Amino acid sequence: MAESKLANTIAKERVADLAQRNGEPTWLKDARLAAWEIYLQSPMPTARDDDWRKTEIDNIDLSTFITTDPLTNKAAKAPTMELVQSAIEKLGEPAGIFVDDYSVSQSQFSSVNTDLAKQGVIFMPLIEAIEKHPELVKKIFEQGTASSDDDKFTLMNKALFNSGLLLYVPKNVVIEAPFVSAVNLPVGKTNHAVFPRVFVATEANSQVTLVSIFSDASDNTDVNGTTLSNSIFEITVGAGAKVTVMTVDKLSKQVFAVNRVRTHLHRDGVLNLTTAGLGGKQIKSVIETVMVEQGASSDIRGVVLGDGSEHYSYNTIQKHTCPDTTSNINFRVALKDTSSSVYQGIVVVDKIAQRTAAFQSNKNLLLGTEARADSIPRLEILADDVKCSHGATVGPVDKEQLFYLNCRGLNLKEAEELIVRGFFVQILDGIEIKGAADWVGDLVAEKIYK
Amino acid sequence: MTSKNTSKSTAENTSEKVAPLLQIVDLHVSVEDKEILKGVNLTINAGEIHAIMGRNGSGKSTLSYALMGHPRYKVTSGKMLYKGQEVGEMSPDQRAKLGMALAFQYPVAIPGVSVSNFLRKTVNAVRGRDIPVKEFRLELKALMAKLGVKDEFLSRYVNDGFSGGEKKRLEILQLSMLKPLLAILDETDSGLDIDALKTVSEGINVMAQADTAVLLITHYQRMLNYVQPQFVHVFQDGKIVASGGKELALELEDRGYEWVTQESVDESASAQAKANSSSAAATPVGAK
Ligand SMILES: Nc1ncnc2c1ncn2[C@@H]1O[C@H](COP(=O)(O)OP(=O)(O)O)[C@@H](O)[C@H]1O
Ligand SMILES: [Mg+2]
Repeated sequence: MAESKLANTIAKERVADLAQRNGEPTWLKDARLAAWEIYLQSPMPTARDDDWRKTEIDNIDLSTFITTDPLTNKAAKAPTMELVQSAIEKLGEPAGIFVDDYSVSQSQFSSVNTDLAKQGVIFMPLIEAIEKHPELVKKIFEQGTASSDDDKFTLMNKALFNSGLLLYVPKNVVIEAPFVSAVNLPVGKTNHAVFPRVFVATEANSQVTLVSIFSDASDNTDVNGTTLSNSIFEITVGAGAKVTVMTVDKLSKQVFAVNRVRTHLHRDGVLNLTTAGLGGKQIKSVIETVMVEQGASSDIRGVVLGDGSEHYSYNTIQKHTCPDTTSNINFRVALKDTSSSVYQGIVVVDKIAQRTAAFQSNKNLLLGTEARADSIPRLEILADDVKCSHGATVGPVDKEQLFYLNCRGLNLKEAEELIVRGFFVQILDGIEIKGAADWVGDLVAEKIYK
Repeated sequence: MTSKNTSKSTAENTSEKVAPLLQIVDLHVSVEDKEILKGVNLTINAGEIHAIMGRNGSGKSTLSYALMGHPRYKVTSGKMLYKGQEVGEMSPDQRAKLGMALAFQYPVAIPGVSVSNFLRKTVNAVRGRDIPVKEFRLELKALMAKLGVKDEFLSRYVNDGFSGGEKKRLEILQLSMLKPLLAILDETDSGLDIDALKTVSEGINVMAQADTAVLLITHYQRMLNYVQPQFVHVFQDGKIVASGGKELALELEDRGYEWVTQESVDESASAQAKANSSSAAATPVGAK
C-alpha cells in the first residue's frame, strides 16, 4: 500500500497524484482539486457543532492518518468475508458481488450477472467505471459537485475517494435479486483512512436492490490504530423507479465511520432504505432524502444496537421540495453498557411542497444504566397543507413487559433480550428484501446475547 | 448421627406431601407504601377450584401480583407457602418454574415477538427442556382448536392490537400449554362474549381435570355457571371477609356485596363448614 499522510499541506499533490494514477479525465481531476480547495477553507467540525453533537471529533488528528490506495490486485473469486457469506445464505443468489478487501487479502473483486450486463446494468468499482464509462460517470457526478454546503468530511471524500462502486440500472430494467457489496476496512497498528464513494443511479421505471456491508477484521485486541472510514453514498431514484438499499456497519472498536447518504427521488420514485449500526468506535451518518418530483416516496429505517463505549450519531434530513410527496423515518436504537447515541431528525417542507406527508419516529431503549440517548427532532415547514408528525421516546425496557415474561418463566436477562429483539423486529419486518429481516435479525440477536 | 439425618429428611418428605399446594397466612402487601392487602388467609389444595369475588379496587389483582412476585408489590408481613415452601423471596420466573401461573387481567403486549416464538420460548423455559418442534406444534394445534384460536394468531405479535377477548383466549392458551399446578385467573371472564366465555371456561375445566388447582378471580357471578368452584371467597378492602361453597356466589349475586359485611355470620359460616371439609380455607365472616 502506498502511503501518504492526510495533512493539509501535502494533500494537494496527493489529490493530483490519485487522479493521475487512476488515469482520470481532466474534469474529474479538476473536481477533486476544487473539492480540496473548499476543504481547506472549511472548518474542522467540533463536538460543539449542532451536527456533530457529542461526537468526539476533536480528538481526531487528521495528520496522523495514512490514506490507502485503491486496490489494484484483482481476486479471481470473492474474498471470504463472514458477513458476505451469511448475507448470501439468507438473501439468496445475488445479482452481483463487489468486495474491497483491505483487511485480509488486499484485493478487489466484482462480478455481475451476465444477462444483466447485457441489458446495460453496470456494477463495478468506481475507478474502473470512470475508465470504462466516462460519459455516464460524468453525468452522474455532475449531480454531486462540491459546494460550500458540504461539510469537511464530505469534501475530504470528494477530493480523495479511492474506493467504492457504481451501480447503474437502465430504463425499465427490473432486478429482483440483490446486489451485495462489501468493504473489509484496513485495521492495524497505524491510523488508516479509506474514502469509499458509492453511486446508485437508476433510470425510469427500473427496480434494484443493494445491500452494502462495511466491516473489518479486527478482533478488538490490537487497538493501537484507528481507521477512518469516510464514505459517500449518492442514490438517484429515477421516475417510477424503485430502489431498495440496506447498509450494515458492523465495525470493530478501531473504526470511526463517517457516512453521508444522499438520495434524490424523481417523479413517483420509491426508496426503501434501511441502515443498521451494529458496531464501531463511533459511527456518524447523515442521511438526506430529497423529494425533487411529485409522487415520490421514501421509507427509511434505522436499527442501531450499541455496546461497550460505542457512540452513534445519526442525522436524518427529509427534504420536500415539490408537492405531493411522502417521507417516513423510523429509527430505533438500543444501547447496552455505556454506549451512547444522538439522533437528530429534520423535516424540511418548502413553501410549494403542498400535500406533503412526512413522519418521523425515534425510539431509544436504554439497556445499560449508564447508556445515554438524545433525540432531537426539528421541523421547518413552510407549506400550509401538510401532514407531519414526529415522536421520540427514551427509556429503559418496560417493567410490565418484563414482569409478564418473568411470570412465563423467562429470567430478567432472557426477558430483556426477547423484548429488545422484538423492538427491532418491528422495524426489520418492513425491509423489502427477501431474507434481510432474518439476516439482520440474527446479527442483532448475536450482539444482544453477547 | 447418620440415622438421625435420614429420619429427619424422611419426616420432611412426608410433611411436603401433606402440605397444601398454596397456603397464604396473614398476608400484608403494600404498593408504594400504601397497604392494599391487610391480612389475607387462604389455603388451596391440589386440584381444587376456588373463586375470589369482590368489587373493583378491593385488592384482588394485588393478591395475584403478590403471589407471582411483582417487584412493585411489597410483602410487609405474612406468608406465602407453595407446597410448604416460602416463595416470597423468589423471582417470578422461579415461581413459574415451580408451577405457579397467572392469567393477567390486563395482558401485556410484546410488539415484535410473535405468539408462536413467545409460546415456544416460555413453554421451554417453564418445562425446563426444549420440546421438539413437531411435538410442540401438535400439542399447540390441538389446544388452539379446542380454544377456538385461529392459526393466524401465531404470527401476530403477542397481545399487540388484540381485542380484549383475544387477549383472554391467549392467556388461557398459554396456561394450558404451561400446565401449572396453580393457575391464578385474574378476571379472565371480563371482555368475553358468551361464546368466548364458554370456550375459555371449557379450557379452564380441562386444566382443572388434569389436576391444576384454580384460583378464579372475578367480580361477576356469570363465569361460575361454567366453571364450578368448590369454594367461594368474598374479598373486601384487602382481605377475605367471607368464605363458603358455590351457593355463596349466588347469594352475592342476589343480595350484593354489602350484605356480606352487614349480616349473617352464621349463614355464611355454616356454608363454609359444609363446603369446606378438607380445606382449612379462609377465615369465616366475623371470625376476626
Ligand atoms: N400499581 C399500583 N399503584 C398504586 N395503587 C395501586 C396499584 N395497584 C393497585 N393499587 C390500588 O390498590 C387497590 C386495589 O387494586 P386492585 O388490586 O387492582 O383491585 P381489584 O383487582 O380488586 O380491582 C386500589 O385502590 C388501587 O388503586
Ligand atoms: Mg383487578
